Amino acid sequence: MMKGTDPVSSPSHTYQFVRGQFDSDAVIFAIGGGKGGIGKSFISSSLALFLAHMGHETYLIDLDLGCANIHTSIGEPLPKLGIHDFLSDPSLSIKDVSVPTAIPNLKLVAGSSDMLETADISEFQKSRIMGSLYKLKTKFIVLDLSAGTHHSTLDFFLMATNKIVLFTPEPSSIENAYRFLKAAFYRKVRRLENQLELTEMIADLMSRRAEYGLKSPGDLLKAIQNKDLVAGQKLNRILKDLHLHVILNQVRTLKDTDLGPSIKDVCVKYFGLPFNYLGHVEHDNAVWQALRNRKHLLLEYPHSKVYAQMMNITRNLVAPYLKRDMVG
Amino acid sequence: MKNTDSKKWNESTFYELIEVDPQASSREIHAAYMRAKQTYSPDSPALYTMFSPEEARELSKLIEEAFFTLSNQNRRQQYDLQLAQSGHPIFSNLLKDEKKSKTMTSLHPISINPEPSLVTSSKVPAGYGKTKFGVYKEDPEFEKQLQQPTFCNGEFLQKIRTYKNVSLEQLSEETRISKSYLSALEADRRDQLPAPVFIRGFVLQVARALIVSDKLADAYMKSIRKN
Repeated sequence: MMKGTDPVSSPSHTYQFVRGQFDSDAVIFAIGGGKGGIGKSFISSSLALFLAHMGHETYLIDLDLGCANIHTSIGEPLPKLGIHDFLSDPSLSIKDVSVPTAIPNLKLVAGSSDMLETADISEFQKSRIMGSLYKLKTKFIVLDLSAGTHHSTLDFFLMATNKIVLFTPEPSSIENAYRFLKAAFYRKVRRLENQLELTEMIADLMSRRAEYGLKSPGDLLKAIQNKDLVAGQKLNRILKDLHLHVILNQVRTLKDTDLGPSIKDVCVKYFGLPFNYLGHVEHDNAVWQALRNRKHLLLEYPHSKVYAQMMNITRNLVAPYLKRDMVG
Repeated sequence: MKNTDSKKWNESTFYELIEVDPQASSREIHAAYMRAKQTYSPDSPALYTMFSPEEARELSKLIEEAFFTLSNQNRRQQYDLQLAQSGHPIFSNLLKDEKKSKTMTSLHPISINPEPSLVTSSKVPAGYGKTKFGVYKEDPEFEKQLQQPTFCNGEFLQKIRTYKNVSLEQLSEETRISKSYLSALEADRRDQLPAPVFIRGFVLQVARALIVSDKLADAYMKSIRKN
C-alpha cells in the first residue's frame, strides 16, 4: 500500500512518505543504546521470545552487522542464511533469508559475522534492508541494533514503530545512551526539514545557537515554533509521535531502581518530547550462566525475577496493539 | 546565560515542572516532588551530560517553588486561577467556577476538566486560526466561503481539512469515523459509503470537528443528489 498524497499525513507515517517507502503491516520494535555490552541483544531476544510465546508471529532481526550474535542469545547455531546473503543477492527478500527457530512463531534473521565488509553498508543497501522490512508480512519485528551512532544504526532505530533506548546505571552507559538519543533526534529533524521547508531556518538557528540560547533539542523546537508557528507545530507533532521508551537494565541496588524514572524525566525536559518508562531489569548472573549453556535465560530460568520483569515490560509495550486487535 | 535558562523553565507550569497531572491529588504531588528533587539534585546520575550544575540548581529552585505552591490548597487554587487568566487552555473552566464560588460560603475542591488539545496556549497570533488539533494560517477568502458553504464535494472536504492542517488519522480519531470512510468521502466514492442518512451524519461530524458551519452537510448532500 503506497502512502497517499495527503499533505497532512499522519505523523507516524510521514517518514515513510518522505522516504518514498511503504507502510509497514508489522509493529516494529528497535532496541538501541549507544554503548556496547549493556544487554541490547538480551532485551531484544527476550522481547521477541515473549511475543512469540504469546502466539504472535515474530521476526528477530540482527542488525548489529559488525558483531552479529543474536542467534547465540536464543541458543540457536549460526544459521546458514543471513543478512549477508540478502545483501549479496538483489533477488532475495528479508523473508527469504529468515530461518525458523526452536521457539514456535519465532523466526530469525541472523547478522553477518563472517563478512567484514557487511559492517559498513552503503546507503542503497540500508534502504534495501529497510524497504524489505517494511514489506515483511508478520505481526511483530524486533530489531537488535549495534552500539554507536552510525547513520545506519540511527536510521534502523528511527524506522521502528516503537523506539526503545536501553540504559544501565553506569555513568558511561547513561552518557552514551543520551548521546545516542541526541544523534537520533537531530537525524530525524534533518530528515524532516526539507519536507517542512525548514532547512534554511534550522541552519540559521543551529549556526547561532548561543545567540538564540539553544542548549537542548527542546529549545530548538520552541525556537522553530516561534519563527514559523504552523511548520513548527507540524514538526512537533511528528516528533511527539516517535514512541520513545526507556528501559533500565542491569539494576543491582534498590537505589538504582529510582534512576529509571529520573532518566525518563530528564529526557522529557531535555528533548521536550514524551518518553515512556517501561521498567527495570535486574542484574542476574543467571544471564551469562544460561548463555554459557547456549540457552536463553527465559527458557532456562522461568521462575527468575528477570523473567517476570521482562514479561511485564513486554505486556506494557504490546498492550495497545493487542487491544486494537480485540476491538477489530 | 542563567537568565535565559530561568526564562526557559519559567515558561513551564509548576505541574509541568514536577511532571504531574493538573488534577493530581496532594499525595501524587508530594510523590512527584520527591522524585523531581532527587532527579535534579546536583549528584544525580540521571543529569549526567544533559544539564549543567547551574541548570540543575535553577531547576531545583523552581521545583521547590512549585511544591511550595501546589502543596497548599489555597495557594494552588490561586495559582490555577492565574493560569486560567493567562489563557492556559487546561484551566479555562476555572474562570467560570470562580464566579460560582464567590456565591458559595465554603471552599470546595477545584474541578478541572482538561480539554484534549495540542495547542499549549489559547492565544493565537493575528492571521492564524485554531482547531483543537493545532493552528493554521488563515486565508480570508476561504474563511468567507466556509462561513456560508453553498457547494461541497469530497474535494472541498479535503481542501478544508488540509487548509486546517488536520490529518485523516486525527479526524478519524476525533469523529470516530473510520479512515476508509473518510477517504471515501473525500474521493466521492459513493459505492464505498453507507446509506445517505449516515453520510449526512459523517459530514456533520467532520464539519464540527473542523469548526465549519453545519450547512456543509446540506451542501454535500445536495451535490450527492445531483450526481
